[in-house]
Amino acid sequence: MAQGFTVWITGLPGCGKSEIAARLEEILLERGADAERLDESQIRQNWLPSLGYGRAEQDGLTRFLGHVCHLLTRNGVLAVAAAVSASREVRNELRGLIGRFVEVHVKCPVEVCRKKDKTGRYDQALQGKLTNFVGVDIPYEEPLHPEIVLEPGEEDPDIGARKIIRTLEVLEWIPRVAGSDYNAEDEEKITKRLKDLGYL
Amino acid sequence: MGILGRIFKKEAAPKRVFLMGLDGTPWGLFQSLCSQGVFKNFAQIAAQGSVLKMSTTVPEVSSVAWTTFMTGVNPGRHGVFGFVDLKPGSYSTFFPNSTHVRSPTLWQCLGKEGRRSVVVNMPSTYPAQEIDGSLIAGFVAIDLEKATYPKSLVPWLRQIGYRLDVDAALARQNPDRFFEELHISLEKGEEVFLRLMREENWDFFAAVVTGTDRLHHFFWDAWEDASSPYHSRFLEYYSKVDELAGRLYEALNGRAVFLALSDHGFGRLRRDVYLNRWLEENGYLAFSGAKRDSVADIDPARTRAFCLDPGRIYVNLKRRFPQGSVLPGREYEQLLDELTSRVAGLCYETGPGKSEKVLRRVFRKEELFRGPFESAAPDLVLLANPGSNLKGATTRTQIFDTEGPFTGMHTQDDAFFLSDRPAKDPGNLHILDASHTVLAVLGSPSLSSVEGRMVLPD
Repeated sequence: MAQGFTVWITGLPGCGKSEIAARLEEILLERGADAERLDESQIRQNWLPSLGYGRAEQDGLTRFLGHVCHLLTRNGVLAVAAAVSASREVRNELRGLIGRFVEVHVKCPVEVCRKKDKTGRYDQALQGKLTNFVGVDIPYEEPLHPEIVLEPGEEDPDIGARKIIRTLEVLEWIPRVAGSDYNAEDEEKITKRLKDLGYL
Repeated sequence: MGILGRIFKKEAAPKRVFLMGLDGTPWGLFQSLCSQGVFKNFAQIAAQGSVLKMSTTVPEVSSVAWTTFMTGVNPGRHGVFGFVDLKPGSYSTFFPNSTHVRSPTLWQCLGKEGRRSVVVNMPSTYPAQEIDGSLIAGFVAIDLEKATYPKSLVPWLRQIGYRLDVDAALARQNPDRFFEELHISLEKGEEVFLRLMREENWDFFAAVVTGTDRLHHFFWDAWEDASSPYHSRFLEYYSKVDELAGRLYEALNGRAVFLALSDHGFGRLRRDVYLNRWLEENGYLAFSGAKRDSVADIDPARTRAFCLDPGRIYVNLKRRFPQGSVLPGREYEQLLDELTSRVAGLCYETGPGKSEKVLRRVFRKEELFRGPFESAAPDLVLLANPGSNLKGATTRTQIFDTEGPFTGMHTQDDAFFLSDRPAKDPGNLHILDASHTVLAVLGSPSLSSVEGRMVLPD
């Protein structure tokens, strides 16, 4: 059985996590991997529409998603989760539980997230009409050492997903595709070039 | 501002930056060439601006230094620690290339802001990645097609006989031919720089000369010894580099901030120091059998530490390596302390009763690297004293050697930074300050994501 892993995509509401996760899943499936995507907003919408947004409820949902990712990972599946997961402590707890865990921080300023928000919830929260909103009245605790940071501008789903793919390749958790690695002939040429300059 | 104010407000022209790279040219050499009159144009630019001594990365190799410059972040964030790196969880090595760089480059940041860049011959940019502008990769580019973006430039590059590099082996086989090739490569480079300067609508232009580094590796002794038959040829090459700088500066006609820098310095090589041999002789490393081509041939059960070029020491730590022999925690810390104190005392004899200390400093990884890829970093990085050339080769049977055709070696604390306007020396100038300055001059919003300090006045 192939070794599974979890890519945990975290960031403020509206930063583009779901789109990046969808594109990442697509690329992994195109490469023939067994990938599953868990999107917090879809789970809320389809299964838990009455779940509140209080800190305890949010942390509970994060832990539940993490538990599912853990089950998928230990069964050789590549799990891709998109969740605000505002609590650093809970994310670190999941890192410990899952083991093969890559944390991706979509670093997008609140102002940009607000502009992208089509639901109007950011504006409502900023006007005080909506409470328990991460980034407004609930703090988002940025990861201290995420494996990947998608900087502003990299939240484009394709750019973001490809950056994640590159890291997974470097970790050798997924096979590389042609282009990123050298073939034997190239390696021989590079070895010679480096030896000619005394580097090896 | 009122409507008339907006109509009549003269928009300041957006700033552009032209950066000339001289691979491996030390600050000391730069100063000497200015005072000897070899650097006429550079001396003039420096007189109106500044030339500062700059330190570079540890280790002071081009792949790490240029990747640090081009991303503006330390290796803990961009993930490149040498010309070869370890595959995660393995004793096997691979050659990192542009696809392994885990932070955006300056030109990727600028591209997202709608600004265009041209990058020619910068090491560690191979294979060429898509760019808003043009890129022709430098060392260790091996295939022109894969080194060039956009591909439409390839036929022209072939037609003019563009050189991706000079054949370094010629330096020992046929020195005259080697010098000829250095000059041809410089001329072809100039043709490319000038055409792309004219035809591309660029905001950032990086033009790198790497022949300087090649020259130093083999002919540093000729620079130091005026009676050497190659001394005048060494100076002649540098006078051509200076003429090139003059023509590039003239072509800019004041329409860009002109910067120049080197990625590391150079000095005289006195001894090659084979650190894996030292580890072996001191009981830290053992090989499985007679084969000792690389660190992949070590016996993990009997190895506590091993080294990759130039002075990167990895502890064979449990959980980090498949057959790690050192426990994390106290055992790991004790081993680091022991290695640091023992290797720091390493000396070689220079004459009866005389010896030279090999190392200037031993760094722990957390002193040099900070970021998500810190875990892939070597545990210790050694910085040599002038003359001691640290090596990670596994095949040698003695610690010290002076064989080989090389007379020059990289140095860490005497690269240079030149600007055509007065710079404010922030003290301990570092190559990351150069990256920061490029983005700051260009007014890039990406400035907040890079390290370093602004060197030019606002």
